[in-house]
Amino acid sequence: MKSYVAQRLGIAILTLVGMSMVIFALLRLAPGDIVDILFSTAGYVNEADKQALLKELGMDRPYWVQYLDWMRQILTGDLGKSYRYDIPAWEIIRPLLPVTIELAILSIIVAVALGVPTGVISAVRQDTTLDYALRVVSLAGLSMPSFWLGMVIILGMVSWLGWIPPMTYVRPTENFKAHAIQFALPALAVGYRSSALIMRITRSSLLEVMREDYIRTAWAKGQAERVVIWHHALKNAILPVVTVIGIEFAFLIGGLVVTETVFNLPGVARFLVQAILWRDYPIVQNLVMFIAIVVILSNLFVDMLYGVLDPRVRYGS
Amino acid sequence: MSRMRVTISLLVPSLVLVIALGTPAISQTPKSGGTLNITQREDLPQGFAIHETQTSSTVWPSMPCFNNLVVYDPAKKVESFDTIVGDLAEKWSWQDNYRNLVFFLRKGVKWHDGQPFTSKDVKFTFDMVREGADAPAKLRINPRKDWYANVESIETPDAHTVVFHLKRPQPSILMMLASGYTPVYAAHVPPANYRTSCVGTGPFRLKEWRKGEFVEYVRNPDYFIKGRPYLDGLKYVVIVERGTRSAALQSGAVDVSYPGETSKTQAEQLKKAVPQLVVTPVSENVNNNVIMNIKKPPFDNLKIRLAVSHAIDRRALIQAVYQGGGVIGAAMAPKPHAFWGLGDKDLTALPGYGNAAEEKARAKKMMAELGYSPEKPLKVEMVTRAIAIYVDMASFVINELKQIGIESTLKQIETAQWHAMAVRGEYQIGANLTGLGADDPDGNFYENYACGSPRNYTHYCSEQVTKMIDQQSQEIDQKKRLAMVYAIQKKLEEDAARPILSWRMDYFTHWPYVKGLVVQNNVYNFGRMQEVWRDK
Repeated sequence: MKSYVAQRLGIAILTLVGMSMVIFALLRLAPGDIVDILFSTAGYVNEADKQALLKELGMDRPYWVQYLDWMRQILTGDLGKSYRYDIPAWEIIRPLLPVTIELAILSIIVAVALGVPTGVISAVRQDTTLDYALRVVSLAGLSMPSFWLGMVIILGMVSWLGWIPPMTYVRPTENFKAHAIQFALPALAVGYRSSALIMRITRSSLLEVMREDYIRTAWAKGQAERVVIWHHALKNAILPVVTVIGIEFAFLIGGLVVTETVFNLPGVARFLVQAILWRDYPIVQNLVMFIAIVVILSNLFVDMLYGVLDPRVRYGS
Repeated sequence: MSRMRVTISLLVPSLVLVIALGTPAISQTPKSGGTLNITQREDLPQGFAIHETQTSSTVWPSMPCFNNLVVYDPAKKVESFDTIVGDLAEKWSWQDNYRNLVFFLRKGVKWHDGQPFTSKDVKFTFDMVREGADAPAKLRINPRKDWYANVESIETPDAHTVVFHLKRPQPSILMMLASGYTPVYAAHVPPANYRTSCVGTGPFRLKEWRKGEFVEYVRNPDYFIKGRPYLDGLKYVVIVERGTRSAALQSGAVDVSYPGETSKTQAEQLKKAVPQLVVTPVSENVNNNVIMNIKKPPFDNLKIRLAVSHAIDRRALIQAVYQGGGVIGAAMAPKPHAFWGLGDKDLTALPGYGNAAEEKARAKKMMAELGYSPEKPLKVEMVTRAIAIYVDMASFVINELKQIGIESTLKQIETAQWHAMAVRGEYQIGANLTGLGADDPDGNFYENYACGSPRNYTHYCSEQVTKMIDQQSQEIDQKKRLAMVYAIQKKLEEDAARPILSWRMDYFTHWPYVKGLVVQNNVYNFGRMQEVWRDK
């Protein structure tokens, strides 16, 4: 087990190094840089001032020097300075992380709470009206982009209630109720979409397991439906569902752009888009690396979870 | 007796009516306290460093921190030379036939960090902005250096007097000094610090800037005008998504919209949903225009440029693209929204401003004389910024030009590349937007039409027009200057220097309890919030 984890972490480090090169190169391939944009917002261009600014930001150095400098910064825990804000990148990134992580976790909780039970019901009541109804609801969830749903929620609230959730981030320590309300709506919007996927995977996986011999045996032994489904069938059907949950969580860390924008939540994804538009390399590079780390770690966590959920899974040999 | 009774019975209701009519004025006595929540469309691009920016996204939320030497009277809707009032300067005086401008500064003014404000701060600021030889500091980006090209030197005879020595008379320098773009910086604060924090003398002190989220101010208790500001605080809430911004305003989560962001349609929808909202149509001082590279064929040919100008139906553009949210005008924003614009009579005589069918027929004829027609078109590439408001306009213009025999392919340019491309003249024809920091001919003409100016994207350069621009700039008599400005505007349109298609209108919206916020004809100038109060 230990050697397996060590091996996976080794691969993860190599992946991250590869990722860093790709991120670094792609950013520089995009047209324009922060200096162009700063001059653009000033409405003029002065070549001498431009060169001075490039030098001030260290962007006049060869790319490989800039890359090595970034790597050195990561290793020393100093993420450099934001080009746009002129303050340490970590000071900007730090407050964004809890917002996005909390929203992703809440969305996954909503998704699991909605998706797994409805998937089970749908499988157990296969081809009934209830099954069809749940499948329609789930298909609707897959078809509706969460940002659209988010906007509908916002517009619906303002039209019917004359109220919308707080427009600035409310810390839980500040006002827990307001904080809960602020996160509940986006979590519902995102969670509903994710639940549709989880529901479909749960349903198909459970249907497959339900046809296994040992389930038939359990029925033949006269075991209660609840025991057969939740204890025997679901336990074996859950592995693909866990995989999907892991993938969804990793996706949500970087994929909440529009939801964060619509609900005006100051999270990673919304800020990342702004940083990309400004070509704020230190912010973009480090945020993308953070997302990559979350993806790698959540995959590793899911793999570890397999062993807990299914004793037949063994690592390292 | 009965007549007396009748008189009294008539007088009493009349008095009641008079009192009742007078009551609003009484009830309008400003109230102190409360915080105003204001919409901010994006995070502050350069923090509070107004001198390093050219966008309202910085100026609008930074103005409450600062003061100018002079400002446009916050109670007047249309800015002009006559509406300029003192700010840090208590009064000013022109001397030596308008070659020396002397400011007498207020005494006892303090910076937010407690340091005293003196004439040194004024000299520091304007030497830095004009990049004088002995400037003590340098801005990393300095978009308005040209505004002060006529300043020879700045002197500070004592701590409360500043003298601007000008190379030649330029009365309109006051217009630039009154702009929201012209705050006075503290000499003891490095200019770079303004990108992250704000030390001003203004009515509000910066409390917190949470990046990407909000900017919060609190009342400056030491403000030099007693009893001001009325509000305890301001909160500029960054809401990037347009739909969310609208919902926030509608729900009352914010009290005031962002200037220049509410279209006519949007305002109508808001008004329908919440009838008590106050909507003020106002010129943004931003125009839509066509830039044609005069240094490159085919637009080095005046006839083709004029054909382009004749071809575009400006009124149809306003209806189709802006749903009526615009007005036609030439190089200066039109009346009654602004001061210097040409009247309807003058406008209709200019190329492209007359009857649409006749104008198009004339354009077709001109192109035919050059050998082009819709069947045998002149092929060009039209550039525009990759932003919806630019692209919509470009699409309309392309369709108009197609009808006279100019076939354009649209190339969208990313914002990061747009100005560099335009300055270098790497284009044939483009659809562009131009915002003016002050409704003043000097600010506009020198910036956009003078030979060699970096923002003169078309590279239009006319000796005659340059001379006319210099003459109007030196003219002291405002009536004579107005006539000269009219003549320049006509000449610019006749030369198709940069055909103006329309002036954009904003439908600035706020809740009725927001009082004292007079919306002016320039998005860059009315953000001080000193006179604003909440009637709630």
